[in-house]
Amino acid sequence: MTFGQVVEEQQSGWERSTDMSEESDSKVEAMDLLRQLEDILESDALIDELGFIHPSQFPLLKEESDISCNLSYEAIHQSEDGVVSPVEPSKQDNIYFWNRDHKLGISTHVLLPLYRAAKDAFFITFKQYRMCDNQSGKGICLPASSCDHLESTLLRHSKSLLLLSCDFMTAWNCRKLIVSKKQQLSMFVDELLLSGLVLSYSPKSEQAWNHRRWVIKSISANCSNFKEILGKESELVEKIAERSKMNYRAWNHRCWLVSYMTIDQVLSELRKSRSWAALHVADNCCFHYRRRLLLRIMEGQSCLEDTVSCGHNVNIVQALKDELDWNETLIKRYVGREALWLHRRFLSTCWINNFVPDSGDESYHSKEAIGLYHDFGTFLQNELCLLDSCSTFVDDDFVDVQAQAAHSASYILWLKVQVPKTLVNQLQEKIRDADLKTLLNKSCPERSSLFNYFMN
Amino acid sequence: MFSPFSRVPSVSLGFLVPITVLVSSISLLVRLGFRFRFLECICHFRSVLTRRRKLRSNCVAPSVTSRSCFSINYAKREVRILCDKAKEILMEESNVQMAELAAEKHVRYILSVEKRKDNFESVVMEHLRMSGAYWGLTALDLLGKLGSVDVDEVTSWLLSCQHESGGFGGNIGHDPHILYTLSALQVLALFDKMDVIDVDKVTNYIVSLQNEDGSFSGDMWGEVDTRFSYIAICCLSILHRLDKINVEKAVKYIISCKNMDGGFGCTPGGESHAGQIFCCVGALAITGSLDLVDKDLLGWWLCERQVKSGGLNGRPEKLPDVCYSWWVLSSLTMIDRVHWISKEKLIRFILDCQDTENGGISDRPDDAVDVFHTFFGVAGLSLLEYTGVKPIDPAYALPVDVVNRIFFTK
Repeated sequence: MTFGQVVEEQQSGWERSTDMSEESDSKVEAMDLLRQLEDILESDALIDELGFIHPSQFPLLKEESDISCNLSYEAIHQSEDGVVSPVEPSKQDNIYFWNRDHKLGISTHVLLPLYRAAKDAFFITFKQYRMCDNQSGKGICLPASSCDHLESTLLRHSKSLLLLSCDFMTAWNCRKLIVSKKQQLSMFVDELLLSGLVLSYSPKSEQAWNHRRWVIKSISANCSNFKEILGKESELVEKIAERSKMNYRAWNHRCWLVSYMTIDQVLSELRKSRSWAALHVADNCCFHYRRRLLLRIMEGQSCLEDTVSCGHNVNIVQALKDELDWNETLIKRYVGREALWLHRRFLSTCWINNFVPDSGDESYHSKEAIGLYHDFGTFLQNELCLLDSCSTFVDDDFVDVQAQAAHSASYILWLKVQVPKTLVNQLQEKIRDADLKTLLNKSCPERSSLFNYFMN
Repeated sequence: MFSPFSRVPSVSLGFLVPITVLVSSISLLVRLGFRFRFLECICHFRSVLTRRRKLRSNCVAPSVTSRSCFSINYAKREVRILCDKAKEILMEESNVQMAELAAEKHVRYILSVEKRKDNFESVVMEHLRMSGAYWGLTALDLLGKLGSVDVDEVTSWLLSCQHESGGFGGNIGHDPHILYTLSALQVLALFDKMDVIDVDKVTNYIVSLQNEDGSFSGDMWGEVDTRFSYIAICCLSILHRLDKINVEKAVKYIISCKNMDGGFGCTPGGESHAGQIFCCVGALAITGSLDLVDKDLLGWWLCERQVKSGGLNGRPEKLPDVCYSWWVLSSLTMIDRVHWISKEKLIRFILDCQDTENGGISDRPDDAVDVFHTFFGVAGLSLLEYTGVKPIDPAYALPVDVVNRIFFTK
């Protein structure tokens, strides 16, 4: 039975109660459910994972927790000072919620009434809060406690609502409003926890990611362990990216963090993300993240060019070279991966832009430039060897091999387009246009109009 | 039309379901270099078998031989031959009866969506009802059936979503955001009802969201994104108030989000994404700054979004999705590079994503339909000049006759 069917079936049960008194009964029931949920959330502040569970899974979960419960019960009896009491029976008997080891499960049977109750409660309290706020703004003195009480209720309700509907923007905004008024670091940290919990079951939630950025921007100015927080954010993205592949929102968040990082952090991120990328060669996001880091290093370098000696310069040349070599290894190991070839296009373009002097440059004939010109020849030679090893395929070959040939041929075309006019003859010496054209059209006939455009 | 990138919240069973174990073990296999496509071939083969039972005898014969072969390469070749054969059969089949657009059923589906308020999945989307209204109503207009909607009912609901600041919320009582402000204006434009709003008030709201660097925030809380730049520019253009913002700075910010692959991201340094590219190219088109786009490079990136099945994806290595028939295709149209992709294959892909029984279009063939993909499917067909669908403007994402009415009447 699918989730939708479950909800529908359960829904028809709810809708059948047309009688007014029954309706209000169900409302009371829903409010009670909401209270239960909020009590659980309050009693266990460390919940780090959430899931919606089909009712049929509850007995199984209970069985498992009973076993572990008995084990811990025995353990307690074995130890002399068994002060810890086993889980309360009422908690175990709950058929709509399941909470253990800081994990929370909510029965799919109650999602709809629970959502409605949470939304109503949230909007009612929000309205009261705004009225209260208005009045205190006008100079009318209200007991501070009543406003405080409304705030805490609002935080409770908005939390439940966001766990049920993660992109409910108004609820996120109301939390921003309250937290920005209080300006307490602990409250900002709580917001990071809540958004982390939401992301645990909805890793693509745009609003949850926005909320994190808002928190980080708010605390960036006066937070002693900001560097540490950035590091943790980056780790969180990696953890989520592991479960949710090619998650644009998550990686975009990580790219955004880069602008706040120090150069040391950038370098360490570059080192750390390498092994992850090697294990996820189809994930273009991670390679883009590395591109972002590399560009940041280059940016920093051009700013500091006057003050820093060529020590740094060598670093970036080396970093690019390492990346090119590593990328080549991956291309040969994982055949036909688009993300790897696109990464290579970027690296080559950087290589060409940064290390091949423009024709108008006066230093073009200097010794250094001749060395670079020579380096460029070696570079081209290497790229064409790569093409050679990747572009041969017979009709019987597997699709991946064919894809590899197509990617390698368009990569050489890319080089041809990117290489400055002064050097293009070097490329033409090594591979004739007619040969490249044949290769392109053979490996990827679908894109012939694109190829023809660039070849002519 | 936005919030596209966040979809229906995926209701996962999280930490409790053994399927996660299964998925992680599959991803492990993939990491170990397991040929995933091999499985794909077999699935493809099987689907053909079920679709064309009478051809079974044809296809089974070679697989018997493959059982006796020792070399894995040989088996692979066998599968490939089978696969090609299967594809041929499918092509033949679709040539014989090329699916048509089930326009009437889609209209019925769109009209029914509004009435469905009884399950968690639809109720939980109510915070973006304004965008839903834009998707549904524009699709209806493209199919020539906007007349079946009660205009007064829509406009009075729409006005009750307006906030005192001038911006619109996603639904009654929700906070205003630039996303829903554009959807509201687009819906009003469809109905030619722009006179029901205070134009200056809405203009002031949008103008207040421009930042010092030329970028735009989505609302008072300051999230910045090139999508919001597009929205601001599109809204003000529809309202004939583009002179109220610093267009030069706005354009400069968009250009600062350009990547070396020719594409654009959310903020400077963000990964290229077809949805973001549409926004940036659209904004540049409206402000007359398309000369700042590297059309060849961007066109190259965009046309590489077309995958073997004919569908378009939004980023490298992703599966095709009907909504990119809009984001990619409209961008290609604006930079005049549509001829770099195969239109016929794309039309076939979109038509394959229809629910021909109950109406609606899904992201991929055989998935569940929704109003978001229904709109983008129809909009894509419109750009592909499919008969029976009104032409759509690639920058404003509104029917061409509506855009003409905005700019050429009075």
